[in-house]
Amino acid sequence: MHKFTVLIVEDEKSISDFIFKILSSHDYRVKCASTGKEALSLASSLCPDIILLDMGLPDIDGMEVIQQIRLWSGCPIIVISARTQEDDKVRALDAGADDYLTKPFGTSELLARIRTSLRHSNKSNSENGLPQHPYRAKGLEIDFFKRNITVDGQSIHLTPIEYKIVAFLAQNSGKVMTYSAVMNNVWGPYAESDNKILRVNMANIRRKLEKNPAQPVYIFTEVGVGYRMAEDEDH
Amino acid sequence: MKKFFQNQVSHDLFITVGLLLLTTLLTLFLFFFVSDNPTNIALFYIISIITVARCTDGYFYGISASLFSIIFINYFFAYPYFCIDFSLSDYPFTFVCMLSLSSITSAITTNLKQQKEILVLHEKQLIEAEKEKMRANLLRAISHDLRTPLTSILGSISSLEANNEESLRFDESRTLIHNIHDDAGWLLNMVENLLSVTKIQTGASQLNTLPELVDEVVAESVTRLKKRIPDVEIEVKIPSEILMIPMDAMLIEQVLINLLENAITHSLSPKPVQLIVENQPETVCFCVIDYGIGLPEEHLEHIFDGTYSDGASSDVRKGMGIGLSICKTIITAHHGTMDARNHAEGAEFSFTLPKEESYA
Repeated sequence: MHKFTVLIVEDEKSISDFIFKILSSHDYRVKCASTGKEALSLASSLCPDIILLDMGLPDIDGMEVIQQIRLWSGCPIIVISARTQEDDKVRALDAGADDYLTKPFGTSELLARIRTSLRHSNKSNSENGLPQHPYRAKGLEIDFFKRNITVDGQSIHLTPIEYKIVAFLAQNSGKVMTYSAVMNNVWGPYAESDNKILRVNMANIRRKLEKNPAQPVYIFTEVGVGYRMAEDEDH
Repeated sequence: MKKFFQNQVSHDLFITVGLLLLTTLLTLFLFFFVSDNPTNIALFYIISIITVARCTDGYFYGISASLFSIIFINYFFAYPYFCIDFSLSDYPFTFVCMLSLSSITSAITTNLKQQKEILVLHEKQLIEAEKEKMRANLLRAISHDLRTPLTSILGSISSLEANNEESLRFDESRTLIHNIHDDAGWLLNMVENLLSVTKIQTGASQLNTLPELVDEVVAESVTRLKKRIPDVEIEVKIPSEILMIPMDAMLIEQVLINLLENAITHSLSPKPVQLIVENQPETVCFCVIDYGIGLPEEHLEHIFDGTYSDGASSDVRKGMGIGLSICKTIITAHHGTMDARNHAEGAEFSFTLPKEESYA
C-alpha cells in the first residue's frame, strides 16, 4: 500500500519527536525539518503529501515558507501555532495554508486534520469541476442542485446570501475558512473589509439550522479566524 | 485651545493682549456713552488683571497687565483725557494697589497649578503601587498553586519510570497517566489565565476590543470547556436577538471558562450548571448558576481578591482564588461589573459588559 509522506517542520525537538512517533505508528512516512531552509529543500526533493509547519522557525519566517512552497506546489499545509497568535493564523490561511492546529493539540485532533486535508487535496485533484453530490452530516443535508437544505428531513428556508455562505462552507467542510475567504466568495472581491455583515448573517443561519445556537453542531466558530463546517459524512 | 498655539508664550501673550484690548474697548464704550463714573473703570481692569494672572504662567503677564492697565486708565479715563499725566496726586496708590493685586493673584494661581501637578503625580504613583501589589499577589498565589500539580506530575512519572515492567499493574499505571494528563491540562489552563493577565497589564487598560457576537463567544467557551472535561453538562440560554458587544473575545472566553469550571468543580452537585445571558437596556449580563453547596458567606466579600481559597479543602488545586481575581481584572478592564452571591440552591456568579463603547 502507498504510504503518505508527511513533512514536519518544527524547531522544538520534543514536539517534532512526539508528532513523529504518532504519525509513524499510524502508517505515515515521516520526515522532519528543523529550519525553514531545510524545509524548503526537503519539500522540493521529497514532494510530501502534506506539510505540518510551525510558524516560529529560527531562520525564515513561516509565512515566507508558505509563499515559497505555494509558488510550485499545491500540497496541503497545516500550520501549527500558539493560541495567542490569532493574526498569524489568519495571515497564514490567506497566504495559502489549508488548515491550522493550535498548540497544544491532541493526537486524535492531529490525525483528523491530516486525514481531512489529504482527502481535500485528493478530491480537488480527481473531481475537478465535476458536480458535487449532496452534503450530509448529523441530519443536515444540502442538495447543491436543488439548492435545498433540510435538517432531519425538515426543509429550512434560507435567504440567497445565507444559502451561499452555507454552501461555500459545506463545499469546504472540515476545513477552516477565514472571514475574508467567505466574504470574497459570497460578496465578491470588492466586499467591504468589515466582516460584521457576515457574522450577523451567520448568527441568523445558526438560529435557523442549529437546535441550540450556543452549542452548534454544524458550523463552528474559530474565534478571530473564521468558520469550520462539520465534516461531510459521505466519504 | 493650547493646541492652537505653538507654545505657552504665544498662548499667554494672546490672552494678555486680547483681554486688555477687550476691557479697554468695553470701558471706553461705557465711559463715553453710558456713564462717566471712574470707579467702574478700575473694577473692569481689576477683573481683567485677575483673569490674566489666572490663565497665564508665572508672574510676568499679570504684572505687565497691571502696568498697562494703569497707563490705559491714566490715558483714557483720567483728566486730561488722551494724554499721559503722572502728576495726579493719588496715582502712586492706584499703581501699588493694582501691582500687588496682580502679584497676589499670580502667586496663588501658580501655587494652585503646582499643587495640581503634584496631585496628578501622586495619583499616578498610587495606581502604579496598586498594580504592583496586584502583580505581587498574583505571583505569590500562582507559584503556590503551580507547585502542587507539578509535584504530582513529577511523582507519577518517577513511579512510572522506576516500576516500568515489574510491580505496577496495568490499571495502576493507567491511573497515573490519567493523573498526569489532568494535571498538565490544569497547568495549561493556568498558563492561559496568566497570558490573559499580561495582555491586560502590558496594554495598560487599552484592550483590543472588537464587536463580537455573544452566541459565538458563548459557544466557543462551552466547546473549549467540553474538550477538556468531556462529560460535563451545561445548560445555555441566550436571548433570541442578535447581540454584538465590544470585547476582547479571548479574554471573555477565559472568564466564562473559569466561571463554568469553578461551578462544575466546586458545587459538588450532579445537577447541570446553567449559563444564562440576558439582554439589558445598557448592558449584557452573563450569569453562571450552579445548584450545589453555595459559597461560604464570610468569604463573599473577598472572593475576587485573589487570596481566597476554600480553607476546608485540603487540595490546593481546588483553590479558585487566582481564577476569580483574573476574571474580575478582565471584566473591570472591559468597564463591566462582576458579582458573586448565593441563591436558594447554590451559588451564582454574574458579570455585565457595556453594549456600546461609551468609554473612548
